[in-house]
Amino acid sequence: MSVLEVDDVVVEFDTDGGRITAVDGVSLHLATGETLGLVGESGCGKSTLARAIMQLVPMQRGSVRLEDTDLGSLSRRELRRMRHRIQMVFQDPRGSLDPRMNVSTLIGEPLRVHGIGDRASRAKAVAEAMELVGLPAAVADRLPSELSGGQQQRVGIARAIVTDPAVLVCDEPVSALDVSIQAQIINVLDELRDELSVAMLFIAHDLSVVRHLSDRVAVMYLGQIVETGTASEVFGEPRHPYTHGLISSVPRADAESAARLQTARRLVLGELPSLLDPPSGCRYRTRCPYATAQCAEAEPPPEPVGRADGLHTVKCHHWRTIVSAAPEPQESATSQELAI
Amino acid sequence: MSGMPLLEVEDLHVTFRTASGPVHAVDGVSFTMKPGSSLGVVGESGSGKSVTARALLRLFAITDDVQISGAVHFDGQDLLRIDERRLRDVRGGQIGMIFQDPLTSLNPLMAVGEQIAESLRLHRGMSRSEAAAEAVELLARVGIADPEQRATELPSSFSGGMRQRVMISLAIACRPRLLIADEPTTALDVTVQAEILLLLDELRRSEGMALMLITHDFGVVAATCDDVQVMYAGKLVEKASMAHLFDRANHPYTEGLLRLVPRFEDTHTGRLHPIPGQPPITGGGGSSCAFAPRCSYAVDRCRSEVPPEVAVGPQHLSACWLATDRAKDTTEAGQPWRRAQ
Ligand SMILES: Nc1ncnc2c1ncn2[C@@H]1O[C@H](COP(=O)(O)OP(=O)(O)OP(=O)(O)O)[C@@H](O)[C@H]1O
Ligand SMILES: Nc1ncnc2c1ncn2[C@@H]1O[C@H](COP(=O)(O)OP(=O)(O)OP(=O)(O)O)[C@@H](O)[C@H]1O
Ligand code: SF4
Ligand code: SF4
Ligand SMILES: [Mg+2]
Ligand SMILES: [Mg+2]
Repeated sequence: MSVLEVDDVVVEFDTDGGRITAVDGVSLHLATGETLGLVGESGCGKSTLARAIMQLVPMQRGSVRLEDTDLGSLSRRELRRMRHRIQMVFQDPRGSLDPRMNVSTLIGEPLRVHGIGDRASRAKAVAEAMELVGLPAAVADRLPSELSGGQQQRVGIARAIVTDPAVLVCDEPVSALDVSIQAQIINVLDELRDELSVAMLFIAHDLSVVRHLSDRVAVMYLGQIVETGTASEVFGEPRHPYTHGLISSVPRADAESAARLQTARRLVLGELPSLLDPPSGCRYRTRCPYATAQCAEAEPPPEPVGRADGLHTVKCHHWRTIVSAAPEPQESATSQELAI
Repeated sequence: MSGMPLLEVEDLHVTFRTASGPVHAVDGVSFTMKPGSSLGVVGESGSGKSVTARALLRLFAITDDVQISGAVHFDGQDLLRIDERRLRDVRGGQIGMIFQDPLTSLNPLMAVGEQIAESLRLHRGMSRSEAAAEAVELLARVGIADPEQRATELPSSFSGGMRQRVMISLAIACRPRLLIADEPTTALDVTVQAEILLLLDELRRSEGMALMLITHDFGVVAATCDDVQVMYAGKLVEKASMAHLFDRANHPYTEGLLRLVPRFEDTHTGRLHPIPGQPPITGGGGSSCAFAPRCSYAVDRCRSEVPPEVAVGPQHLSACWLATDRAKDTTEAGQPWRRAQ
């Protein structure tokens, strides 16, 4: 059963240049204890989608159902009462913590705000959350400024799990941390998933980290999900040219690294178009080496790939004819071959 | 080994005096680079990678209370000893630099073409019109479409990846013999990173320039560099060819770094293995192995004597008391970072 059901969400913003559609008809679901990784280029709408799910930005269309409750239909008071079931972890641990509160007060704050439990049970929940994220009891009285970056992020995670949420939305929770601390925090999230069976939406730009943590993955491009499936389907047998390009871009520590980057360059041409003037038809067509006239005319619907369970879907007219091997690029107006 | 080295760094030390005491950011670094070679420098945050790069060109803020010693031989001169005027010729002339955040190093109020042209007039003595034409040529060269138009625009109208291309065109404008790139792709999307890394590699080959690339990502080094150096607490703890390092990393710190990050191709790796503790904030300068407090292999000697560099293979050095023993043990147990595929 899904604890979170996101259906056809659209978020628009008014900007100086005009109206943009930052999230453009996104649907996804999360089962209990499942982790869904969300990847895509900067500006593709990942954070906006996360904030829409948290009901922090208004949606122009669509619905978000948390444990069978339509969050959009709730009054503000009712919504506040639901909040403890869905919590968020942010990128910048320092910026998201009140510098005047000590660690135990910070972690207990969501319980007080939601009026959960009494003093004694709250203190117990705080101690448990600290233990779960690996914060020693000795730091309970410290201020955020007296903590290392890794400890600050542990506080951010402890705050998010202390209310026993069904869903945790993590927006780039390790991006601001040094590699060794990243590994610690990734392990904390991994352990939480096993011990609390909390469902996680995990946003990160590091595809290796996403693959490591996620059961399923959704790939976003210009506000839309272009491919989704299990982590091994999407990363192991990508069907969308953009997914394939993203994966090929990951510099790996092996001998084929440079050759793979060449593949990436052939699959992701030119620059990200402006949201103020998104391409007609398939959003990816201005950068796609396989684009045809059909791609400019009609937006491809998401189609199920392979097995009939419908979990692996791809939004591309030509996925059946595009082989996953390195493609030969076609003439393309946006192709920027280097003049070298 | 043949040919003269292009760069020869000898026993480089950089110490900052700070309110809370001295920081030995670079603690006896020596290495050489041949013309046209490519060298990756890897290490955790604070290990001294950037300070090493900046020390080569004495690029420090006026407010920095800094002491430098050692020698940096480049093209027949010691960069630590030449006067400021000659050093200015080398910076942005024979040695180009690119930094992590291109915005901070480009003038926000000047069209990018003008910035490149200015450097060309300064270093290559070109006339105004020659320089302007060459600037457009350079922008085209780094893959910027419609270069005549873009040359007239301010840096703010470029995306992150395009700004980094502008930085690269600026850095290569004077046909440097050495390009130092400090985390040139860390702030960029992975697809843009791929393009920038390819561009750097192609420029290195076509221009015959040497590349020193600073990063925390071994994957980035693998894609662009032939040789690699691992830095910890101001020291180079391991030096090897890239291929050699992956096959037989020797130093416990290198092993730790390789086990730290999830690898894209590993689908079921279980938990990651963080290196416990943190690098020393005062850098190096002690009378022990600086890694000892975090090293699971440490023995008594590690805490009382600084380990010397030991040759553990062809052009492969490791500064660890156990280096020779570890080099002999090529079993799975001896090389735990090599996971079964
Ligand atoms: N409050 C806002 N007002 C106007 N535009 C916005 C607002 N928030 C986001 N946007 C725009 O919406 C688009 C999506 O932004 P979003 O932050 O969701 O991207 P992202 O995928 O999270 O990117 P990143 O990887 O850089 O965090 C961008 O073009 C952004 O500029
Ligand atoms: N101007 C300065 N004054 C005092 N200490 C400094 C100064 N610049 C750097 N340091 C210190 O020198 C050490 C090495 O810093 P450096 O910037 O070289 O690290 P790095 O390896 O480049 O790390 P990162 O990966 O975070 O860029 C650090 O401990 C740092 O705090
Ligand atoms: S629909 Fe056309 S343009 Fe879009 S990804 Fe598929 S082939 Fe490329
Ligand atoms: S010298 Fe000792 S402490 Fe240092 S890395 Fe080697 S084994 Fe570890
Ligand atoms: Mg974001
Ligand atoms: Mg640095």
